[in-house]
Amino acid sequence: MTCSLGDSLEEIVDAVRHQRIRIERVPFTLASLPYSKPYYLIERNVADKLHNRSEEYFYEVLFSAVSRAFLDAGLDRTEIRDMNVFFGSTSMDVPVFEGSHRKSSSTVAGIFLRSSYGYGKIAGAIVERFGIAGNCYSFATACTSSANALLYAAAMIEEGLIARALVVGYDLFNNLGFYGFEALKSIAETDYRPFDRTRDGLILGEACGAVILEGKRRKTGDFMCLGGANLCDTYSVTSHDEEGFAVAETMNRALGQAGILPGDICAVKAHATGTENNDRTECAAMRVTFGCEMPPVTCLKPFIGHTVGACGVNELILFTESVKTGFVPSTPGFREVDDKLNLTPLTENMEAGEGIFMLNYFGFGGNCTTLVISNKGDRE
Amino acid sequence: MREMYIHSASSFIGEETTDSISLKEKLSSYTEENFRRVNRFILLTLLGARQCVHNHVLDFDTAIYLTTEHGNLGETASVLDEIYAAGSLPKPFGFINTMSNTAAFYLARNLGVRGRNIMVSSQHLSFERGLELLQVDFALGATGNALIGGVDEALLSRIALEEQTDRVFKMVNGSGWLYIRPGKDGACGEISEIRSFSDGHACIKWLTERGESQVDVVSFGALIDADEAAAMKEILHPLAEFDYLGDYGYSGSATACGLGLFITLFHGKTLLHINRDQRGHFAVIEVDRY
Repeated sequence: MTCSLGDSLEEIVDAVRHQRIRIERVPFTLASLPYSKPYYLIERNVADKLHNRSEEYFYEVLFSAVSRAFLDAGLDRTEIRDMNVFFGSTSMDVPVFEGSHRKSSSTVAGIFLRSSYGYGKIAGAIVERFGIAGNCYSFATACTSSANALLYAAAMIEEGLIARALVVGYDLFNNLGFYGFEALKSIAETDYRPFDRTRDGLILGEACGAVILEGKRRKTGDFMCLGGANLCDTYSVTSHDEEGFAVAETMNRALGQAGILPGDICAVKAHATGTENNDRTECAAMRVTFGCEMPPVTCLKPFIGHTVGACGVNELILFTESVKTGFVPSTPGFREVDDKLNLTPLTENMEAGEGIFMLNYFGFGGNCTTLVISNKGDRE
Repeated sequence: MREMYIHSASSFIGEETTDSISLKEKLSSYTEENFRRVNRFILLTLLGARQCVHNHVLDFDTAIYLTTEHGNLGETASVLDEIYAAGSLPKPFGFINTMSNTAAFYLARNLGVRGRNIMVSSQHLSFERGLELLQVDFALGATGNALIGGVDEALLSRIALEEQTDRVFKMVNGSGWLYIRPGKDGACGEISEIRSFSDGHACIKWLTERGESQVDVVSFGALIDADEAAAMKEILHPLAEFDYLGDYGYSGSATACGLGLFITLFHGKTLLHINRDQRGHFAVIEVDRY
């Protein structure tokens, strides 16, 4: 995984444990706006700063994360060759086009349309680079993209259709997303404060995460996906029904697919974008699902930003790696309870051992995805 | 494989120049909803899918699988120009529509369904991969009924294809859809096989070993060259070849359109559709039309 906290899992988890966060500010130079907004940027060399980024940089970040995932899983060449690739992203290779534009006098649309090979291009580059012979599935469902990639990779393994999957969530900084979310007035001024009374929006982040899924545990403590669900909330293209029924239905179906009850959940990783609507909807949905027995809730976006379509994989890694070292992360930035939500996420790290956990992801287009994961002993 | 019965199919194929106004006009035959702030890709999605299910009452839980090579990248290009050329923030709905799953959202809302809503892509084999996801969902009981389609605009399809084959096709806007249920009652056909092969040899071997099972009709994807097609026909001895690309034109979602056309045109026949991607991976879909 590579994110604003670095590219070493140990360093990233240590930063999460101690709430060390790194946010930069990015100006809206192209639109000549007299202000900047915060962004969780990957820390790189001067040559790779935003205005210098190239196609090579884009693929270097991607291939590096994938290589480290292979290494961490201890896969041999044959196992890598035979795997299938599940890729999820919101921006896909828009950052590449934006980089090309800076070096050309042509219009963006001109470059974009000439160089577009479609949404499958990045997964295609992964299989080519690593000699993977399996199939590719690229998911583009906004902020649930890589969560859905995880959902289907796990389902295909469960069904015995594939033995192994590489699941990648990747969204790099791009002006399309940064200016687009600003146009929606969704970006916070300074701090990320999900569920807080004074929350004022999301802060975008960039990250590339890669995980390997298999039918059997390789190491003690490895997590398994017990089940999941995806549904469409048709309330609005940009927001979810504030009563939270569609979101709650997604959670309930995921619990049913996993064969467990709400009371079995040890903690919830909320989607928690920090926007007014998301947090209200998600809170309402958790109350419908869990009633008075609300499990501890953590929000991970204040650590690495809202990595949009990549958040499925990257927040999964952040969460599972933290639990592996013994804690569920607290939520930085939370100070004041919102009476309308009446929810206080973890404000201190919570000791964690074996358990079953719920991960929630929501996105534009009404997309709702819930995953249920466990690090308990192998299921019968 | 899990039974996948086709209860209806459609194939909307429009000229490259088809604009949003004419698409909206056609769409008005199927729905009274007035769509604002939507683009050509979304309208193509709505039109093809509405044509497919206009005689059906859909369950609330119906899932939507939208497959595409290029999705809303046309809109993405326009929004990028707003930022870079015009030096302004993009229009909010323009930005939102750069996310291709908005097309599947508008379709779900228009149909009043709330099941799974997935958008998947895989270079040249997007529709085949979408069918595989649907197959898994059927097997796990995650989806009961499903609407699966392929949608692509002509312009983006042309640019992508020109670099990968010398074959020349008429470029079209395409939106092909199948309404699939696990039950046979009322079905007009079924998908009896979906297979993937990591190379042509494996595909040829499977075709050879599939026995005497009669294939009435074969069709081929855009990257299958003449020699490959000839070798496969030699093995299969089909009664006919359905050249939907030559007859109706190419889009990134030609496979979905081709299958939709087969259901409409070939009653009582069996189709073997063989496709490949630029990596040399092959995929076969077998469809029985009752």
